[in-house]
Order: sequence, then C-alpha cells, then structure tokens
Amino acid sequence: MTFLAKSKRSAVIRRSFLSAMALVIASAPGAASAAPPLEPDVEAPPATIPAPKPSWVYVNRGFGTPGFSIWDTATGKMLGLIEGSWLADMEIDPAGKAYYVAETFWSKGFRGTRQDMVTVYDGASLKLQTEIAMPGRILVGSRLKNFVVSDDGSTGYVYNLSPASSVNVVDLAKRKFVRNIELPGCASLISNPGVGFSALCSDGSMATVSTAGAKPVITRSAPFFAATDDPIFDNFVVDKAKKEAVFLTYTGLIYTASLGANPKIAEPFSIQEAAGVRKGDTKPLDINWYPGARQQLAVHAATGHAFVLMHMGEYWTHKAECNEIWEVDLAAKKVVRRMVLERSFANIAITQEAAPKIIVSGEDGALVILDAKTGEEKFKIKSAGNGVLRTVGPS
Amino acid sequence: MKMFDPDAMGEKFLRRFAGGTSRRGILARLGVALVAAPVFPLLPVSRAEAAKPDRSPEAKTAFARNAQTTDDTKCTYWRYCAIDGSLCSCCGGGLHSCPPGAEHSPVSWVGTCINPEDGRAYLIAYRDCCGKSMCGQCGCDGTDRETQLYVPQLNNDIIWCFGTTSMEYHCSTAVLIGSA
Repeated sequence: MTFLAKSKRSAVIRRSFLSAMALVIASAPGAASAAPPLEPDVEAPPATIPAPKPSWVYVNRGFGTPGFSIWDTATGKMLGLIEGSWLADMEIDPAGKAYYVAETFWSKGFRGTRQDMVTVYDGASLKLQTEIAMPGRILVGSRLKNFVVSDDGSTGYVYNLSPASSVNVVDLAKRKFVRNIELPGCASLISNPGVGFSALCSDGSMATVSTAGAKPVITRSAPFFAATDDPIFDNFVVDKAKKEAVFLTYTGLIYTASLGANPKIAEPFSIQEAAGVRKGDTKPLDINWYPGARQQLAVHAATGHAFVLMHMGEYWTHKAECNEIWEVDLAAKKVVRRMVLERSFANIAITQEAAPKIIVSGEDGALVILDAKTGEEKFKIKSAGNGVLRTVGPS
Repeated sequence: MKMFDPDAMGEKFLRRFAGGTSRRGILARLGVALVAAPVFPLLPVSRAEAAKPDRSPEAKTAFARNAQTTDDTKCTYWRYCAIDGSLCSCCGGGLHSCPPGAEHSPVSWVGTCINPEDGRAYLIAYRDCCGKSMCGQCGCDGTDRETQLYVPQLNNDIIWCFGTTSMEYHCSTAVLIGSA
C-alpha cells in the first residue's frame, strides 16, 4: 500500500515537470508553433536524362558490381544507371536514343538455362525496351571491344568464345539476331565503317570481315605485331568518324591504322623514344617506363593527342596501375607532356569537348576528373567503380 | 586383255634396282654417311635444340626471381606465374583440386613457369573451379607471358568455366602438365 501511494505521488510530480518544460519550450523565441506542418511528398515521376553529352562518362562498375553509372564531368554528379548483368558490355546508340547492353543470364541465378542477349534501354528513361536473343558471348571483364556498334548504329557485333571464336551480328534497327560468323584466332573487335568489322588475330594480323553480301567475306592483313611477345592491348581506341584506330603494345609501340576494306597500318613508333626515353624492351631486369593497367589509352580526336597511362617497372608488368599520364601528339610522334598523378590508376578516358577532361579510375573504384589542360583535379568520387570507362565519341 | 599384275611389276622393279646397284656402292654410301654424321649437329636446327635455356637471374622475370616452392597459398608460389583469381588452395581445395562442391573446368589457359628448385620450365594449366560464387580469398594476378583475348589460351581474364554445368567462377587451380 505504502509503495503504491509513493508511486502515484512520483507520477504526479513527473507529469507536472514535463508540463512545465513544454511551456518553456513553446514560449522560447523562434519556436514555429504558428507555421503549418510540412506537406507529405507527392510521388514524382522518375527523372529522365537528355541525349548523351560530350561531358558525360559511363563507368562500368566492375567485376563484382554490375551496371554502368553515368556521371557528368562538368558537375561531378551521377545522373543514372544503365542496368547490366555480371560481365555485361555496354554500347551507346550513335543517335542517342538508346543504350545497348550485351549480357548473359541463367534461369536459376548462375545455374539453369543460359540466355545471351543484347538488351535495349531507352536513352531518356533508361527503361527496358526489348531483348534481342543471340547464341552466346565471351565472359570476361574490363574490355571495350567485345561489343561494338557500326557507325550508323544499325548493327551490333558481339564477340563470342565458346571456346571456339566467333562474332554475333545483331540488327539493332530491326532488333533481331542476324547470324554468327566464325572467326578463328581473332578477337578484339573494331567497327569498320562501310565494311563491317575488323579484329586482331593471334598471328599478328588484322582480319577484316565484310558483311555487305549474303555471305561474309574475311580477309587478313600481313602480320604487323608480335601477338605473344609484344601484344597490342585489347582496349585500343577507334574513331569511326575518322575511320582510324590507334593501338598500343606492351612495350609501348603506338600503331595507327586507316580502316576500310583493306586497312592500312602505319609503321609504329615508341612512346618512350617519343619522350626522349630509352625504347621499351621485352628483356627481364630492364627497368623502364611501360604502359599498363586495364584501360591504358585515350585519344582526343580534335587535337589528335593520345593520353597513355604509364608506370615504371619491368616487362610483363602490363597490368600494373600507373602513376603518370603521357600526352602524345600522334602526328608529330612526340610526347608533349608528362603528368604525374597523386596515386596510381587503372583506367583512363577523355571527353571530346573543346576543353577536355581526363577521367581516371583505380582498382579500388575511386574516380578522379582532371582538367586535361591544367591537370587540375576537378572532382574526386570515392567509389564510382573499377571497370572500363566510356565517353561520347572515339573509344 | 592385259590384267593388272602386281607380282610382275614388283619383280621388274627389283631386277632393275639390282642391276643398277652394287654391294660395294651401298657400302661406300654408308661409309660417307658415317663419316658425315658428326657434322649434322652443327646444323642450325640441331644447335637451336641443343642450346640450354638461360635460367640465370638476368634471364628470369621478376616473378620467377622471387618465386618459392613451399607455400601454395601465396601469390609467389612458382606455379602461379600467370594465374588470375582466387587461389583454390585458400578456398578448401588444392593446387590441382577444387573445393567441395565446385566443378573443375575441362579446359584452361596455360602458363610457362620456372621451378626455382630445379630451374626447369613447366607447362601449367590454370583450370577454373566453377559452380559456386567467387571464393574471394587469396586474390592473385600473375602476368608472365600473359596476352590478350586474341590469344585466349594465354589470357587469364577470361572466365574459363567452359563445359561445366555452371559458368559461375569460384577459384583457380594450377595443374602441372609437364616440362615446357
């Protein structure tokens, strides 16, 4: 009994104290008692994005995180995400109306029936439009040349390794699979305007596949590079407007090729010699500057300047991240600038703007946007993704 | 009508051969061959085959110079000169065996690695273990003589889970095939 009475008394005291506190708070200056409460949000329609802009960069988020995030290098803001499965490849419709994703699914997660397709997403809403089924594709990460689109946007070429080597031709206008072309010993596709596509081959040649007729016609150039001793990196750059490709080898040789029915490959030059440094060699214990990492090369079309990720090391360190960017005047065959980076990076791309920006990203997913002229850091994004980078234009 | 007679043709050929040769002639030719035999190894092809590969530190890659033979859970283990991915030795499997429930791919990419103990080069088949999500342990990326996709058998980025019930990548093994 005594205990209960005590409890009641305590409760009365507590209530009085709380009432007094409430009065103090309500009478305090600045209390917004008269203002109406906030209105609940009205559900807004999903945002849309405009057609691709030269300032945008598309980030393949890497091995473990699917999808392609879109960033504006002018603001450092993310604009959206193009969906994609594990190890998917993305291409941009040249008309800017769609994004194409070559990808693979299984009916039960990673088990069950395999389904390979080119998935079409609307360029503005990023919503799924359709799926174009096709027979297989290679499963590999960090590559830009396993899915390429023709210059007019009508045709997609998807590399397949089963492990036999072939290419799927996809009609993107009619949105249907056309045919599979066997291409033994060749990979790393090059969209070849007016012809079809080309590819690099294990004998050091370039194969060119004319797709105009009822049957594909395959021709090969003379061997021009050492495919096993000094390979050309898969992530080379193709300028469909100029009909030109720029290749880079492990030792640092730069080749340019004029595309067409019979591509013409110019004599290479050494990036090291172009910088006044000893030419890259394949011998062990020869410490020198070498190109490296995942995506080593970017080209700014208007100036004809290449930007190459370089690192110091021995030969066969071609995957090492790089801490310098060498700017190369391709016509003059001269390294015109060496940019020392704060840290090492794995991927490089450049916007095709008049005042371009360099984008670099690391294996840890960090992405940095630099002013290409001054080297000034404009934005740093902690975890954008560690996969390959795409900008609008040559890549 | 004349019929085809192989016996007669054979007899004719042997009689002509016997008539045009002599035992002395054959012995003389054999003698020339015996005298000339020591000269054959001087020919370029023989010299190339006889040349011993240079296994000096100066001829080895950075990986080969630092390779070891005792711990197959480390990236420096000699067979891992061109591996890429999680080591199955760290995932419940071994150098040439898959962890429980994972399936060995019947095909692979290859590398040529030098065993520091005997100085010989060996062909190593990097066979992926498939059908489980990525192990994530002991990630290694050996790049000795590793090439690009147009030489797929020497490329270590490709998911090599061909011919398995699932193409999901789990880890990689390093199976010794033999002397390179």
